[in-house]
Order: sequence, then structure tokens, then C-alpha cells
Amino acid sequence: MPVPDYLRTPTFRLTALFSVLFACSTLILFLFIYWQTAIVETQRIDSALVRDTGVVAKGSRADVLRAVENRVTPDFLPITYAALFDADGRHIAGNIATLPAGVPIDGQAHPALINGEMNDRPTTPVDHVVIRRLANGEILAVARSIDSLDNLERVVTRALEAGVFPAVLLSLAAGAIVGRRVQRQVQIVHQTAERIMLGDFQERLPVRGTGDDFDRLADSVNRMLDEIVRLLDEVKSTGENIAHDLRTPLTRVRTRLERARTSAATIEELRDMIDRAIDGLDQTLRIITALLRISEIESGLRHAGFTTISLNTVVREIGDLYEPLAEERELRLVVLPGPTDYTTLGDRDLLSEALANLVDNAIKFTPPGGYVRLQLEGPDRAPVIRVVDSGPGIPPDERELVLKRFYRSDRSRHVDGSGLGLSLVAAIAKLHGFALAIGDNQPGCRVELHCGNNTPSRRSGRGA
Amino acid sequence: MSGLSTDKMDGNGWADAGSAPRTRILLIEDDQETAAEIVGEFTDCGYDVTHRANGIDGLSTARDNEFNVIILDRMLPGMDGLSVLETLRRDNRRTPVLVLSALGDVDERVRGLKAGGDDYLTKPFAAIELTARVEALLRRPATTRETVLRVGPLELDLISRAVRRATRKVELLPREFKLLEYMMRRPGQVLTRAMLLEDVWNYRFLAETNLVDVHIGKLRKKIDGPGETSMIHSIRGSGFMLMAPPPQGEKG
Repeated sequence: MPVPDYLRTPTFRLTALFSVLFACSTLILFLFIYWQTAIVETQRIDSALVRDTGVVAKGSRADVLRAVENRVTPDFLPITYAALFDADGRHIAGNIATLPAGVPIDGQAHPALINGEMNDRPTTPVDHVVIRRLANGEILAVARSIDSLDNLERVVTRALEAGVFPAVLLSLAAGAIVGRRVQRQVQIVHQTAERIMLGDFQERLPVRGTGDDFDRLADSVNRMLDEIVRLLDEVKSTGENIAHDLRTPLTRVRTRLERARTSAATIEELRDMIDRAIDGLDQTLRIITALLRISEIESGLRHAGFTTISLNTVVREIGDLYEPLAEERELRLVVLPGPTDYTTLGDRDLLSEALANLVDNAIKFTPPGGYVRLQLEGPDRAPVIRVVDSGPGIPPDERELVLKRFYRSDRSRHVDGSGLGLSLVAAIAKLHGFALAIGDNQPGCRVELHCGNNTPSRRSGRGA
Repeated sequence: MSGLSTDKMDGNGWADAGSAPRTRILLIEDDQETAAEIVGEFTDCGYDVTHRANGIDGLSTARDNEFNVIILDRMLPGMDGLSVLETLRRDNRRTPVLVLSALGDVDERVRGLKAGGDDYLTKPFAAIELTARVEALLRRPATTRETVLRVGPLELDLISRAVRRATRKVELLPREFKLLEYMMRRPGQVLTRAMLLEDVWNYRFLAETNLVDVHIGKLRKKIDGPGETSMIHSIRGSGFMLMAPPPQGEKG
């Protein structure tokens, strides 16, 4: 008969193993109880025998005879076996035929086999007997069968039969049921995975809402699938965007060169047109370079360049670099390089590049007369670099999108640039473990780089 | 002429002066097309270019001849570019080496410079960027003991940090001073935007906007006063150059 699949599941095997362990441990427990009880019971019988014998022995000879005949002590304690022998061991009275062999006459309890002729239970297995010499030299033997232990054994065995075997069977059955359920769910996951591998990326694992391990697992897998789908979409749209963004300047270059060939009258004119064509090519090259840089940074292979750097210095230097540009655009560039010394583990070049991009953007999009503020502040261990401007800002629904490659707000289509600046910043932030947040400055844009998550933010002493 | 002496090693004189003996360049590059372009470019500029297409040939050529500068591709058949460089440096050959690479990784750059490279350029590059950098290597400013730099009428005192053009005192911001100092150490050389950002500001990225142009513009406004001959020239499509005005203009 083939074994059903669910009996092969790990769950069932585990249950089976536990059932066996449970049965074994119960058996050991019962044996232990039996053993202990037997010891106690035997001791009880023994001490009773010793005590009874003592009571009988204390009486007169008539009392002893009476007790032996009636198997009742003067205190009316019942005795199973009793007999009186003369000093030489000859039977005088009682239901023990002969003195048990090998039992010392010392008044203590000893196991022995009583096979007296008047014994109404000829096959008594083991009895305990006390033999003691009376004051007149005669020998008194008092014995009791310990068949109450047999009863105990029977009770224990019956309890085992009635308790343990059903429990084992029940747990095996439960294991089989659970195993079967697990197996069915695994089957569902298999089938879903199969469908996803065949290209149905919208397929998701069922979540039954019970919040159990399977649900949590399904939830993780589903979220992973969501992320994969998102990345796939991004790759696809990035490809389209690259094609589009490269085509525009390349078409322009082509037009310029064509016009140069047909319409340039002098060498000077030709040169001028070719120069402009070269500008267009430079633009495409910049886009390609930026893309390569982003993938380079995103591949996360640049931790080698990490050293302890001063954020204050990075901010101050970038402020210095951009001040003339802001001035030229009639903007006020306010640089606030922080109330204390902030250090972080990072790549100075990359961080500077990220900041440069943010300031560059802010300057590009802020109309003349406004301001751009580059600010470093916050608690010692969680500094925040803020780039704030008085420009048009980014609408809330576009804030996520601007971090995507090539995304450009409709309003900014006329502004030069690769459209990759913020993606580059995002990539650099991610490499450093910094959080990048885009908010509202009311009016204007506020971009924040939270540098706190990054680990060793040791503070160096001032002027050190 | 500037008050600077040329590097002893490059004792052959100014490259663009065209005077004999000609400046010799060794190009070690396996890509035929790139090599042809580079050879063409430098030959046009009047250099004597030797080309080798693999690391082993390149190394033996570099050992057996004197060159003023070596342009070395990072990825080469036979022997890796960095190994060629390391071997040369072990042999105590101090010829300036510019490393070309398709890898833009900063780590790569650091490795290239550590192996003994003097400059590093990532492919693809504009021809002017390469020629400007090679010229910069050929005319690396000597570590002069002079504390005053002079180009034509322009005078920059490194100690007092005073700048004057002829008799006119020029007030400069610290960043402008740094920029001018760099340019005055390299008069008559094309300085690309990337070179300026790298050497003056120590940044290895190119800003999207005309950042460097704005800095140069500010400096130019102060250096070239009204009625004075322009000394800071823009080279279209490539960069900038500081040049002494022709002698008939003013007196230095």
C-alpha cells in the first residue's frame, strides 16, 4: 500500500517522533510510580507483620493459641497466616505446615514461600513472614501474602492501556491531519510559484488572514514579488526613458550637422555649428556617464572609499563652491554649517557630489530674488543636512517620482540637465545608509538628508 | 615667459613650441580605433607618438627608450596596465604616466594612482581633455622655492597673499586666490573644467551647470580690468587658459 503524501510531511514525522517519545516517557513514569509504590507497600506490610507478631507474642500461651487458631491478634488485627511450633520446629497449631526454610528466627520480616497444608491458596507466590521465639521457647510464625502488589501491577498496566495508547494514537492522527494541511498549502505555493515563473507576475500567494506562520511567509513573499515587479517596471521605463532622453539631443545634433553641411557658407559658420553639435553630444555623454555612475554607486562596491569625514567641512566647501553661481542667478545662498562638529563615516567625494546636486537643483529651480539655504543641524548623533529654497517646490504627488531615474516634472522640461541628479543623490544616500526626504518649505522645496542611521558618528573635539 | 622653470625631467622644453627635439609620447592601448584617434590627435599637436598594442611590448619599449609621458590603458592583453606601471616604477622610471580606463570607479582610480600613475582619465573622454592633461603632465610645475608667481603683468605673492596686475592691486576671495594660483602655475596651458574641479576643489565630479565658468568669470572680472588686455581666455568646448598679454600691451 502506498504511503499517503501527508504521512511523509515533516509535520507528521515530527508528530510520530513525539508520540513515541511521549509513550516512552509515560512508560518510564508509570514504572517509576509502580516501583516506588511497591517499596512503600512492602514496607507497610512488613512493619504491620512485625507489629502483629509483637502483639501476639506478648499474650499468654492461651492467647497465642487463640490468635493462631483464629488468625486474629488480641487487638483484633486480622492475620493471613499464623502458626505455632515447638522449640524444635514441630507444628503445634495454625495454618502454616512447616517452618519456612532459611528464614532466621529474629522477629524481622523476610520474604518466603508459605506452602502450608491448610493453605487455602496453594500457589501463593511470595509471602512475607516474621518468625520469633516466644518466652517459653516455642516458635511463632506470622505471615501475610503480598498479593496487593499484584493488584497494583494490574492497575498500572490497565492505566497504561487506557491512557497512553489512545493518547499516542490521537497525536498521530493530529499529526497526520496537520501534515496534510501543511502539505496542501505547500502545494498551493508550488502551483503559484509555477504560474509566476511562467510569466504571470500579477499572481500572489493566498493569505487566509489567520496571521499564522504560513500567512506571514506568504505576506513576505508577496511583498518581495511586489518589489520585483516594481523593479521590472522601473527597468522597463528606464530603458524607454534612456532611449527617449538620448534621442532628443542626438536628433538635435543630427539636425545641426545636416544644416551645417547644407547651409554653412564660411568655415567660421561651419565651426560654430559643429561646436553646437558637440555640445549636444556632450549632453548625451553626460547622461550616459551619470547613468553609469548611478549603477556603480548602487552596486554598493564603493564602501572602500569610506573614511571619517567632517560633515561641516563638506557643507562649507559645497557652499563655497556654489556661492558665485547663486550670486550670478541673483539668489541668496545661506550656508549654515552646523552648531557643533559632526563627523560621519562616508565617502567625501560622493557626499559632496550629492550635496552639489541638491544645491545645483535648488539654484536651477529658484527664480531670481529668492534664496537657497544649505544647513547642517540636529542632535549630535543624528545630523540633518537640509537644502531649502524659495522656488516652486515639488507637489506632494511628485515627491516619490522625482527620485526615479529620468523623472522630470513637466515644469522643468525646459531646464537643462540629465534628469538624473536626484536619483544619483538617492543612490548616494542609500549607500551611506542615510535617509533622503523631500518636503515642503511653504513655499519652496525642502530636501533633507538624515545622516543619523550611519553607524560610527563619533564626535571629534573642536579644533582637534 | 613665466617665472617658472620647467620640470628637469621634461627638459626637452615646451611641447607646443615645436622646437626640436620633439616631445615623445608612448601610447600603450589595445583598441585600434581609440589608439588611432589618440595618435592622430597628438601627432597633429606636434608630438612624436609611439604606439604599442599590448602590455609586454609596451613595457619593453618603455624600458628601452626615453619618453616624456606615457599614456597607458588599464586593460591590456598580455600584461595588465597596472602591472606595466608597477614594473616601470620598480625600475625607477619616473616618466609621468596617465592611466586610461573604462572603469569609472573611484577605487579603480585610487588603485591606478597608487600603482604610480600621475593622472587618471575615464573613457570615453573628449580629445581635448586628454591633450590638456598630457600637457599638464609634461609641464608639471616644479616645486619652486619662489614665493612670488609671475605671469606677464600679473603677480601673486604666496606669503602675503597679495595679488597685483602691474600696479593695480587685486582683491581676491580665498577661493579665487586658490584658483588663480593654480592657473598661474600653469600659464599657457589648457585647463579643462574637470581638471580645475579636481585640482582646485578636489572634487571628482562634473557639475551639471556652468559652475566652473562662473568661478572663472568672477576671477576674470577682477584680473582683467576695464581697458586691460584679457589674460584669462576661454577655449571653446574645452576649458580655460591664463596667458600673458602680447608684449606691446602693458609692461609687466
